[in-house]
Amino acid sequence: MTWVTWQQYRYQAALAAALFAALAVLLLLTGLHAAWVWHSALAGCAKDNSCASPVGSTLSLGSPTVAALVVMTSAVPLLPGLFWGAPTVAGELETGTNQFAWTQSITRRHWLAVRSGWLLLAAAVLAGAVSAIVTWWSGPYNALTADAFQVNRFDITDIVPVGYAIFAMALGICAGALLRRTLPALAVTLAGFGAVRALIALWLRLHYLTPVTVHYKLTAPFTPAGSYLAVSQGVIGANGNPPASGTGAVGVDGVPVPAACQQFMPKAGINLQPVLSCMTAHGYRGYLTYQPASRFWAFQGIETGIFVALAAVLLGVTFWVLRRRDA
Amino acid sequence: MTAVIETSGLTKRYRRVTALSDCTVSVPQGRISALVGSNGAGKTTLLRLLAGLAAPTAGRAVVLGGEPRQDPAYLAEIGFLAQEIPLYRRRTAQDHIGIGAHLNPRWDGESVRARLAGLKIPLDRPVGTLSGGQRAQVALALTLAKRPGLLLLDEPLAALDPLARRNFLGALAEAGAGGGLTIVLSSHLIADIERVCDHLILLAESRATLCDDVETLLAEHRVLTGPRKDTTAIARAHTIVREDTTARQTTLLVKLNGPVIDPAWVVEEANLEEIVLGYMSQDDAGYGTGPEAAPLSAVGGDR
Repeated sequence: MTWVTWQQYRYQAALAAALFAALAVLLLLTGLHAAWVWHSALAGCAKDNSCASPVGSTLSLGSPTVAALVVMTSAVPLLPGLFWGAPTVAGELETGTNQFAWTQSITRRHWLAVRSGWLLLAAAVLAGAVSAIVTWWSGPYNALTADAFQVNRFDITDIVPVGYAIFAMALGICAGALLRRTLPALAVTLAGFGAVRALIALWLRLHYLTPVTVHYKLTAPFTPAGSYLAVSQGVIGANGNPPASGTGAVGVDGVPVPAACQQFMPKAGINLQPVLSCMTAHGYRGYLTYQPASRFWAFQGIETGIFVALAAVLLGVTFWVLRRRDA
Repeated sequence: MTAVIETSGLTKRYRRVTALSDCTVSVPQGRISALVGSNGAGKTTLLRLLAGLAAPTAGRAVVLGGEPRQDPAYLAEIGFLAQEIPLYRRRTAQDHIGIGAHLNPRWDGESVRARLAGLKIPLDRPVGTLSGGQRAQVALALTLAKRPGLLLLDEPLAALDPLARRNFLGALAEAGAGGGLTIVLSSHLIADIERVCDHLILLAESRATLCDDVETLLAEHRVLTGPRKDTTAIARAHTIVREDTTARQTTLLVKLNGPVIDPAWVVEEANLEEIVLGYMSQDDAGYGTGPEAAPLSAVGGDR
């Protein structure tokens, strides 16, 4: 069955390998360039002892087009599930070739197990390889902008893309087995993957572990070390509530300024220190609820685990459908 | 002779349609059985149930000593060829031989090559580029290469021209000659299958109306021709399957229950086609299905 699977997917495998090679060459060249720019900048600031201050976001590590392309690799884990997973059962049912395949001396379960096993492995390897090179490529960017924990960087580096790819593959296979037609299965895989990824990346991920909350003086804003994941940030008064709004359009960073401190609002310029001092004196303080940088790997692990578990459920459904429904 | 296929009350319902209802048939080992019936009578459903591709809603099938099931040993014994001749269109016959070799414990790839060489069918072209008849030959060769104990063929003749049909049936007869292989093939071409089949299953309105050896069927049916007259006397002694009446004479297909005594009737042997058409038109005319419930008259045949 392994041989049969290879027979049917060897051209797709060759195409995927070629596309990966092209991406790898591009990222290798631009990545080496970015690393060189970064190390030159470090060497430059070391000379005049200015490295303590942020190197500066004005430093350009390379073409923004390539950076955009790298962000787009978040679609890579979806592709194997879409183009190999969705047709793997649906295509057979559509053309009737399942009647050939499933009347050889092999059970449907065995057929599905070997086939989906290799497809899952192929998807994981492809996503893992792309992620490995993207992770390396992102090194200088992480150092410059501390974005490792941000959406769009977290999602394309390290191990989560492997989890996404396994999930997308399982979703494609399952949708194909349930809907029995390739095109609807493609659509469901696309929509399902997008919806689950968005739901988890934008909402659920913030709550994997109880976030840390830090209160700080408004006059001395607090920024956690390294790349952190912000859950919420704002200003609260002495009573624990945010300042009441409705006192006009005057505000600092979107926070309404209490009536007592309005007189300190700068008439011109941007010096906010007097108004912030006034607010501090009135008991207002800032808070930041966030997931610290030290939790990066825990979050990678939890998220990968969630997607692998979803994939396991979908595969279970597929086996059940293939066993219970007529061929 | 042991029965290779034994079904009782086999029923398959889809959401609204009953594709097969209460089908009870038995096919002894070594027979080449023709599965006939009008379109939608349930032939394909029966074959798919026997192949284990579909599960019955009710009833039971025992094939080669067990129920059709997902078990490599069972599947190895079944050769199934679906009506639409499903092969991987972009793969060559050679590729299919390779697939078969990897998925079957006993596999005679050499026989496929020899058969296709004999028919001058190229092994190295995608099967999608072959003609319908050639594809059917490739599919049959692949099915036979499995060396099954039971061959289930759904309309294998439909795609073939008359000469190819004859070759195909010749190959079937040859394959079945050893006595170990049992074959069930569905077809509309009664005249063709009459040459090779020694057993017949007739499905009408999703039920099995006839299931017996061809020899037995021929022995117990007669065509009676005589002047137009009342048939109640005949109906009392025998079972009238079909009655055709013209202005001057009456022709009856009768299932005998002893000799016909009345000298007014000319008694002739019935051929298989007459018997099959007799039972099929009975169904067509909307009468009850079992031979026991045979109707008295079907003047003019169809409605």
